[in-house]
Amino acid sequence: MTMHKREWPTVVALAPVLLLVLAPFAWLIVSSLKSEIEIGQADPLSLPANLMWRNYQDAWQIGGFSELIGNSFLNLAGVVALTLLTCTPAGYALSKIRFPGREWLFYAFILGLTIPIQAIVIPLYEVLTALGLVNSLSGIVLAQVSNGIPFGIFLMRSFFTNVPDELVEAAKVDGATHLQILTKVFLPISTPAVQALIIISALSTWNDFFLPLVVLISPQVQTLPLGLVRFAGTYSSEYRLVFSGTVISFLPIILLYILTQRRFTEGLTQGAIKG
Amino acid sequence: MNMAKSESMAGAGRGNAARSRAGRSREDVRLAGDGAGSALLLMAPALAVYAVFTLFPIAVTFWLSFTDSNGFNTDAGFVGLENYRKAAADPILWQSLWQTLLWLVYHVVLAGGLGLGLALAIARLRRSQVFFRTAFFLPHLVSLAVVGVIWANIYDPFFGLLNTSLVAIGLGGWTQGWLSDPSLVLFSVNVASSWQGFGLYMLLFIAGLQDIDPSLYDAAEVDGASAFQKLVYVTLPGLREVMTFVMSLAMINGLKGFATVFVMTNGGPFYQSELITTYIYRLAFQSQDHGLAAVLCILLSVLAITITVVFNKWRARLSR
Repeated sequence: MTMHKREWPTVVALAPVLLLVLAPFAWLIVSSLKSEIEIGQADPLSLPANLMWRNYQDAWQIGGFSELIGNSFLNLAGVVALTLLTCTPAGYALSKIRFPGREWLFYAFILGLTIPIQAIVIPLYEVLTALGLVNSLSGIVLAQVSNGIPFGIFLMRSFFTNVPDELVEAAKVDGATHLQILTKVFLPISTPAVQALIIISALSTWNDFFLPLVVLISPQVQTLPLGLVRFAGTYSSEYRLVFSGTVISFLPIILLYILTQRRFTEGLTQGAIKG
Repeated sequence: MNMAKSESMAGAGRGNAARSRAGRSREDVRLAGDGAGSALLLMAPALAVYAVFTLFPIAVTFWLSFTDSNGFNTDAGFVGLENYRKAAADPILWQSLWQTLLWLVYHVVLAGGLGLGLALAIARLRRSQVFFRTAFFLPHLVSLAVVGVIWANIYDPFFGLLNTSLVAIGLGGWTQGWLSDPSLVLFSVNVASSWQGFGLYMLLFIAGLQDIDPSLYDAAEVDGASAFQKLVYVTLPGLREVMTFVMSLAMINGLKGFATVFVMTNGGPFYQSELITTYIYRLAFQSQDHGLAAVLCILLSVLAITITVVFNKWRARLSR
């Protein structure tokens, strides 16, 4: 990469683009602090006369956002934990143990890697019904974990494949089982892969709307995006509530990202490219 | 999880092919022995979840497409190719298929194009690179359904950011009913999705740019290449693999597009923003026509598999 000593021309060119891309955030945050009458004046550049923090109090209470955020957090934690627990040993087995049917399993996972979740949702819903898991966070967690398993397995497998077999051999000579080799030898050196898997599974769970829409029916079990959509539909004529509710739905994750951005970016790109 | 599916397939597929060519290689012999038992144990949790919640539903979807199931008649009858005949004669299906393909193209061009352009600009920065990379990535953190709520308000004809800004800068004549005009709606909604999507593609392009051997630029410099020539003869060829990866990723993401359409227009007006995914949802959970919905599910899967296979072949050829 040629590095130009003077970068200000590029910076000057990028600034208006950045302004345009981030304008929706600025507009929402400013509007969320306006009164309903000020919003009705439809002037995008005006600032609120008084900062209406009350909008946030009202939206928080009426929308039940503490519950929604709690549900989304449980959803996220459940998916990330189960994804790691299922994909790490499976990725190890597929890369370091030779067993009959390995090829066959490999193609079975490739199938799930390709097929979109919407294409299997009808029987999936019936499976969840049969197991009594409709309208429950456990149901959504299991379905999302299953949807992410192929990617997770391939990510861990491709990382483990690059670990020399000699490590396995040496541990075996010492009488270690595969489970011990995985937890004592492989896991300590797998931080980059585990980190990538955590970030990617967390992001895709955070982003998911389709499965929660189908599975989570009552408001008490809904996740943040689904709850916001319901809230914005119910209070569509009270813009101050819709705006402040929307800001509540994106601001926390953005702050979290800014705090962890370097690690986050690394994990995301490495995971996506090497997976 | 939608990221990097096709890439991992390519990687995995290559490794696999290499292994089967070599037959029982040294590696295999050394790792053989205590295989099956421990492998089964380690695979069991993943396999159990995956079999129940993914493999079984795939098989049932296939079967459903040959039945007259509506979700309540547990004794759904076999109707042969009836659903496929019905599907072929369904104008909304064809419309949603066409619009899905258009949606893919919009997403690749808008989100992929913006991601590439920004990456080319940002990768050359040193001091301000982290700042711009972080700032441009922010929209990607907003969940797509929330993006739908945001952009439905931006497009609001009366007080939305877009129309009021156009009026404020003296372009009042350009104001539109962005979501009510049948000829605009699909593009308008796609802009919202692409606003959320481009950040990831940008990061992948930046990573690809950083992998290009710097000595190639030095050599081009020595040969007296202009900035444009360097772009055409060094940068873009060096990005080919990342480019095909991002294209396939963007197409698969486009194929799965659902949330923004569902939230902003619910497929309307007059089915003008209906996608295969939103039509599946409508058929499966509103009109309870599971047979026809299953045909659409299979169509969606075939599209996804085709895109993945084509791009894997292409990338395999590039990396050779």
